[in-house]
Amino acid sequence: MGQPNLLHYRPWRGEFQEPLLGVWPVARVGLRMMFRWWPFWVIYGLGMMIFLFFFFGQYFLAWADTQVTEANVQLGGFGRYDPHDLFRILRHALKLTGNGETYRNFFWYQSYIILVILALAGSMIVGNDIRHGSMAFYLSKPISRWHYLLGKCLAAGVFINMVTTLPALVLFVEFGFLDGWDYVRESAHLCFGILGYGLVLTVTFSLLIVAVASWMKTTVPIIMTWATVFLFPKLVASMLVDGLQFHPRLRLIDLWNDAYLVGNWLLDVPPDRIPPWPQPAWYEAGGVLVVLCAACLVALVLRIQAVEIVK
Amino acid sequence: METANRQQGEAITPPAPPAARKSAICNLQSAIPRPVLLFDRVSKWYGPVLGVNQVTLELRGGITGLVGANGAGKTTLLRLATGQLRPDIGSVSVLGHDAWGQPGKRLVGYCPDVDAFYEEMSGRQFVCAMARLCGYDRAEARRRTEEALALVRMTGRSDRPIGGYSRGMRQRVKMAQALIHDPRLLILDEPLSGIDPVGRQEFVALYRELAARGKCLLVSSHELDELEKLTDHVAVMARGRIAAVGTLTQIRDLLDDQPLSVRMHCDQPRRLAAALMALEDVVGVELGEDGGLVARARNPRKFFQELTALVLEEGHDVRHVETLDDSAEAILGYLLGGRRGS
Repeated sequence: MGQPNLLHYRPWRGEFQEPLLGVWPVARVGLRMMFRWWPFWVIYGLGMMIFLFFFFGQYFLAWADTQVTEANVQLGGFGRYDPHDLFRILRHALKLTGNGETYRNFFWYQSYIILVILALAGSMIVGNDIRHGSMAFYLSKPISRWHYLLGKCLAAGVFINMVTTLPALVLFVEFGFLDGWDYVRESAHLCFGILGYGLVLTVTFSLLIVAVASWMKTTVPIIMTWATVFLFPKLVASMLVDGLQFHPRLRLIDLWNDAYLVGNWLLDVPPDRIPPWPQPAWYEAGGVLVVLCAACLVALVLRIQAVEIVK
Repeated sequence: METANRQQGEAITPPAPPAARKSAICNLQSAIPRPVLLFDRVSKWYGPVLGVNQVTLELRGGITGLVGANGAGKTTLLRLATGQLRPDIGSVSVLGHDAWGQPGKRLVGYCPDVDAFYEEMSGRQFVCAMARLCGYDRAEARRRTEEALALVRMTGRSDRPIGGYSRGMRQRVKMAQALIHDPRLLILDEPLSGIDPVGRQEFVALYRELAARGKCLLVSSHELDELEKLTDHVAVMARGRIAAVGTLTQIRDLLDDQPLSVRMHCDQPRRLAAALMALEDVVGVELGEDGGLVARARNPRKFFQELTALVLEEGHDVRHVETLDDSAEAILGYLLGGRRGS
């Protein structure tokens, strides 16, 4: 490089893309980091096992229902039963009926996976940028801090939807194939419910993890904060409402339950089918989530600056 | 003097009609090139702490060094110039565009001093991601990535994860991402730290080449020896203000309260010392044990003229003359009151 050759630089004659499109490269960097991290695949594998349980459970019950031709079968020493009734009971017990409760349960189980991965990967998505000062690379480029934030939330959102919304839609399609066109026509609202529940989880959890990670920065404090935000209020709410019989509105401090209530409403699950009972109204839970998102935004605006305030 | 010239001009030339005068002013303004980087009375607070205080600075091209002690406000100044911070008072513009806005940012390349990358990413992926952030489509981003990596000699090594890079390789990747959009203004924060001597020569050559091609470079560095090799035009920051701007010689000349020390070797040092003491600007002469002497003089320019005349008139056999404290290090030491950051 004794005599640098700069001749190959030619002036740019194309159109610059909108800064909003810079959101995706920011998200992709975060996702790339996450995908290269082996524990992610282990935990994601667990999430996929839950999905496969739902997927093959439904498939097995539908297949077995068609294979049994006898009117009655001997069930051990309990007498003879109609096998189709047995399959129906099993299907209802496992909530593999393809109604709102099926998807609600699926989202509920997958939420554990999301919480664990986001807690572990929070520092990777955004914490390290603030801790090590890498934000200078982003903020000196022609994007604003809002684009940066949106990119980081998008990274978390893509992951959340990989675990919840997309597999849930696959289950919906599977039920459509197994039960026929009638199911798709009659349960079309569930499809929107799945998308809505995914959106609620995406917005709430991504904003929350980015806000927590931007303040806590390193993995251990993020996990501790995350556990405090989700597990501690859950225990307290359960103790107060289920144990001491306080007003069910106190369950609103349980953020996980709040998202769950809104999801149940979106999936058209009747209120009396939402365990544990009693529960506050879904719109109250929704209000808490809105306040939470607003608080996260304020925290992020204060935090996402190029220079920390010198005390 | 400016007023006198104006009055003289007015006496010779009859006043132009208002429309013609306005047109003449417009022509004059268009003839003067816009500054590449302009700080106009900029102040920036961090809560109660004043980071930058009423800074006015104008860069029109070439390489300018930015020096100052730790906490002097250099980093704040660089972040204001790169649009990472918005001034509380005043304005920062790049070729007339607000540095905070996207058009302004498109004209600036920033090579920060931090070494914090995504360790699992390869250098190529990182530079390409930065190119996408600049607004290029995928194909153009890839093309520019290859060019920038070639420019910093990282083409063959950029597929390895950054975690395995040496400090010098990291500097090169940082430089590549700063050059990716061919910016008009390059802001480099400690660009030579961690680079081996051969690499330094390469980078110094690159910076000079970029400056020769019309780029404006603002280089913040604590390595004054390297900075002196790169440029003699510096801006000195102290306590949030610009303490001095200009060439090192200009700044040294302005330091009236710090006489210049000049060491000389001659055949008759005592006789020369006596003659020097007779000069008006010489404030002291010290005889050394090695047969040399050190004179301390105010107004260096005038002193050297008088010294030359003295040597020629009185026939002193002066074998060696060197200035002791006109290096960037010494000037910065004087400006900052003997306190300079590491």
